[in-house]
Amino acid sequence: MSGKTIRVATDVGGTFTDLVCFETDHATGEARIVTAKSDTTPPNFEQGVLNVLEKGGVDPKSIDFLAHGTTVVINALTERKGVKVGLITTEGFRDSIEIARGNRPDFFNLHYVKPEPFVPRYLRREVGGRLSYKGEEMRPLDLSALPAIVADFKADGVQAVAVSFLHSYADPSHEERTLAELKRLWPEVATVASHQITREWREYERTNTAVLSAYVQPTAERYLTRLKDGVTGKGFAGSLYIMQSNCGVDTLDSVSKIPITMVESGPASGFWGAAELGKLIGEKNVLALDIGGTTAKCSLIENGQVKIMTDYWIERNQTSAGYPIMVPVVDLVEIGNGGGSIAWVDNFSKLHVGPQSAGAMPGPAAYGRGGTKATTTDANLWLGRINRDYFCGGDVIADMKATETALTELGEKLGTSADDVARGIVRIANNNMVNALKLVSLNRGHDPRDFTLVAFGGGGAMHAVALGQELGVKKVVIPAGASVFSAWGMMMSDLRRDYFVTKLADLKTGAGAVIEGLFAETEALALKQFGAESIGADKVKFLRYGKFRYQNQEHTTEVLVGSDISDAKLAEIEAAFHETYEREYTYRLKAPVELVGIHVVASAEVGKLTMQEKPKSATPASAAVKGTRKVDYALEGIHDATIYDGTKLEPGMAFSGPAVIEDPGTTVVIHPGNRVEIDGFGNIHIHIKA
Amino acid sequence: MTEVSHDPITLEIIQNSLQATADEMFAAMRKTAMSSIIYEVLDMGTGILDAEGELASSGAGIPGFIGVLDKSVKVLVKKFDKPGDIEPGDVFITNDPYYGGVTHLNDLVVAMPVFADGKLIAWTANIAHNSDVGGKSPGSLSADATEIFQEGLRLPAIKMISKGEPIPGIFDIIMVNSRMPDFIEGDLWAAIASVRIGAKRLVELATKYGIATFETAMRDFMNFGEQVSLKALADLPHGTFEMTEEQDDGRFFNVKVTISDTEFTVDLRDNPDQDNGPFNAGHDDTLVSTQVIFKALTSPHSPANGGSFRPLKLLTKEGTLFHAKEPAAVGFYYEVGIRVYDLIWRCLAPHMPEKLPAGHFASIAGTFIGGIHPDTGRQYTIIEPQIGGWGAAFGRDGNSAIFSGVHGETYNCPAEISEARNGLTIDRLELCTDPGGEGEFTGGRGIRLDYRIRRDNSFLTLGYTRSRIAPWSIAGGHEGSQNYALVMRKDGTSERFAFGSGIRVDKDDVIRIITGAGGGVGDPKKRDPEKVRDDVRNGYLTAERAATVYGVTI
Repeated sequence: MSGKTIRVATDVGGTFTDLVCFETDHATGEARIVTAKSDTTPPNFEQGVLNVLEKGGVDPKSIDFLAHGTTVVINALTERKGVKVGLITTEGFRDSIEIARGNRPDFFNLHYVKPEPFVPRYLRREVGGRLSYKGEEMRPLDLSALPAIVADFKADGVQAVAVSFLHSYADPSHEERTLAELKRLWPEVATVASHQITREWREYERTNTAVLSAYVQPTAERYLTRLKDGVTGKGFAGSLYIMQSNCGVDTLDSVSKIPITMVESGPASGFWGAAELGKLIGEKNVLALDIGGTTAKCSLIENGQVKIMTDYWIERNQTSAGYPIMVPVVDLVEIGNGGGSIAWVDNFSKLHVGPQSAGAMPGPAAYGRGGTKATTTDANLWLGRINRDYFCGGDVIADMKATETALTELGEKLGTSADDVARGIVRIANNNMVNALKLVSLNRGHDPRDFTLVAFGGGGAMHAVALGQELGVKKVVIPAGASVFSAWGMMMSDLRRDYFVTKLADLKTGAGAVIEGLFAETEALALKQFGAESIGADKVKFLRYGKFRYQNQEHTTEVLVGSDISDAKLAEIEAAFHETYEREYTYRLKAPVELVGIHVVASAEVGKLTMQEKPKSATPASAAVKGTRKVDYALEGIHDATIYDGTKLEPGMAFSGPAVIEDPGTTVVIHPGNRVEIDGFGNIHIHIKA
Repeated sequence: MTEVSHDPITLEIIQNSLQATADEMFAAMRKTAMSSIIYEVLDMGTGILDAEGELASSGAGIPGFIGVLDKSVKVLVKKFDKPGDIEPGDVFITNDPYYGGVTHLNDLVVAMPVFADGKLIAWTANIAHNSDVGGKSPGSLSADATEIFQEGLRLPAIKMISKGEPIPGIFDIIMVNSRMPDFIEGDLWAAIASVRIGAKRLVELATKYGIATFETAMRDFMNFGEQVSLKALADLPHGTFEMTEEQDDGRFFNVKVTISDTEFTVDLRDNPDQDNGPFNAGHDDTLVSTQVIFKALTSPHSPANGGSFRPLKLLTKEGTLFHAKEPAAVGFYYEVGIRVYDLIWRCLAPHMPEKLPAGHFASIAGTFIGGIHPDTGRQYTIIEPQIGGWGAAFGRDGNSAIFSGVHGETYNCPAEISEARNGLTIDRLELCTDPGGEGEFTGGRGIRLDYRIRRDNSFLTLGYTRSRIAPWSIAGGHEGSQNYALVMRKDGTSERFAFGSGIRVDKDDVIRIITGAGGGVGDPKKRDPEKVRDDVRNGYLTAERAATVYGVTI
């Protein structure tokens, strides 16, 4: 041992590949942090990873723990760059992915166009055999048609096959036998069966999930293999983990089998980071907000736990039904409001912000790359919230003329000044984000006053205080390194797997043993899977959730339940359900309660980072002051704000707003009356009322 | 802040919050409802109304419920007009179309007045289809009802909660009149929770911005709705357009639509007398159906509120089936409504081809199946609208298997859930490839859905239109195909239905639902041969019909 542990997170995005490296000295506990950025290199993404390691001066040989996040799956889906998939279903149900659920979200639009299925009808085939909802065999599986199906699929150039049968969540044996026979007939084809991804009911959602997983499987597998070969080729001998949508990391082998679980790994690592940060600073209830260039995403963390759900859809919005992916994904709300969101005036003189974004090209008008439309970033610049002489950390010279022209153009349509337009843009953008934050908090029965707002991403810190004031949160925290916070979150992640299983059980005598049996069976499966990766049972921690509802309802409420469930504990579980339900929905019923399924979280620590708190510095905050400038706080007027250099802030420093903190990646806007403190980890705590 | 603000950004922020509140009410109700018709089919709507009952904002799963709540609240405001009649914490209910209920007795409208500083500033309200409200048949709809009395319990715009306390007896009356008392209780509480959450949010808004500003924002929002509609009217062809269309039962329906810069007038006075059966709609409901197609034509993507509908005028004659008189039965009002909607659409389609596709399967195809669950022994009732084919448009084929024009963000029930919940087996749910809808651009396909009954003495009730007269086509395309159900007995006999109630079905009988293809657009001979070959490869079309209808040899 070198006396050091080196942990690295790499994150492959559409434009850049990011690196964060923590080198922890065992003796002192001191961590040296390196960050680097290089271009993403499609289609040889591993090259970008190797480049960024080199750029950051990190020798792959020295890395103990390497976490990796990637947008490869979501990109393959949204750009339709997967492979040709064949689908095999239960007789009578091959059209399931085309029929979908029949909904028309854009319901007044007579020209609504239904999303096209990922597998055309001629590649959707049926086999005989049928299970009941209890998992009992009604008709035996009939695979006599399989050789002909395989022959047709081969002739048609199919590269991956998805299998999805009715009620396979209750008994996967028909799917398992079909997979085995497929592998025998056609060993080289990529295959996936729906039960391997989820054990929950709803045939359209489960089938579509299997189809999309098959669609990206060869691409993702190739990507992961090349990544592994690339880093091991440079001498990496540590552990390689892949970021997942459920806020955990998983092993490369496991992810290669079901790559669809990576689909929302980007936001997941940030939200996990917010949960871990909350634990570090003693704030277990966190509203997490990630503002990027195009969108803002938010999620609620209660008592240190992120909420993981399987109700995830891509491309679903007010004008499209989208496609479901039934995998564990952190519960988040995303809206089309980011720094690059374009402000526009409709035919009725109403000002709107987003969801169209100026993106990186041409970007906000102030980038001077030919953008003529005012964005949220332009408004922030115009109001002095962003430093026009330190734009993008000093990398870009702000084209204030272009910003002025863009704002004035909107002002003419509205009959008002550029100043008022800029204030209007910021207020509307804030209002959009407040509504999103309410969706994850107030709308689910949580009082924002019990929560700390943790804001990150490029634009989080700019708007966080205004949002926090509007919501009335306890305080606002901007993490140290807010712009690379997602990568930090990845390094704080556990090896985590979420298991969802549908099973109906009335909460009455005898149910205790049934429920305990279901949990025990699922936990045994988890231990087996962890064991296969040399992680012993003693390392694995479980959290057990029951999904309950009043009899006849559909939607369930998740309740944390303990171990060793027996009939004696049912009353306690039922009481916990009533309480959770009433908090969320304002009333409770006398109706019987039933279990609809379980959710087991299995996690094991795999060498995550331990943070070391630094002592308070004796240096006064005035040492970090860069100067002052006029900042327009919209509703709170124009003030002379003190400007702080974020790179010079040290633990223990404290000051009050109006102020702005600038560092190369982030601008923190502090409103008048706010009180700011820097903690021992370098995080910025903003108390809304002084 | 107490002064009135006319700052447009503040008004806009309040308006956004009204929309967010209507959506939140919708989400709350959906999540807590007991009946799948509410939480899955989303046969429900929520709304925020001003103190007089004008619609300010709506959250809805289906367009057919957007314009209902204002009519209900206006009746409440008129009926409870004395001091002390309406107080903070009160909750009202109505379900009777002759007392502001608009639709039929199954739809319970729940409304709550919102007070700030002691002043009535708004109402929150919702409507949802309840599984059973009594009456002569299970599920309360019966094809042979002749009076509304046979269709369930009538709640003629009454108070059910006074100052936060349920009025003794009201819940008891409602529950004892239902065959599914637990469901109606659960669904009603979901509705109450929803109006309460909405009221709480509105009070917060009014407190924060001031009552006067809040009220200004609501008024301004409705004026905005009106401006959007007027602008759209200016862009539509002006004139009077007329259409007479034969119905499945041989009657003829007539509509005259007159469009000018400022008005869109729908004249339905020349139509048959009201029906002796339940195939009637009240005036208010006919107005709602008219509003749905009006909104689709004028501004499908802007918010719908009271102002949006100001330019719309409806003329009806009392005593006709579009303006039924008490005590006419109205159980199947929704099939009357969709006929009005489709008639106006068809009437205008030739005059605005870029705005209007060919006819769709155009029936709610409401299907009610019930009995005793063979595994749990509990009563179950399926209440489902069906999905079907939509018409082609110039330049594209129609959608397959989506809900009708008066349904919207409605979800069908997964077979896996239906089998568990209802104790029957779904043998198949697939696209129906029967002929129909051929054209240069083809109509979308309907479905073939087989329910296999698992226990004797179950029942089927249904009421479909477009069961004889097929969906209409445009410019030489072929008509679509019909909606109907087959009851296929285990002895091999089979019977076709469009309307019927309490049809007995037994173990191993199969109820097959067929919904129609949408109408085609253009001569099939002009269809791109490559697309015809794709259709054959995908099994949507036989090689034989490719040759005879499209002239393409495979």
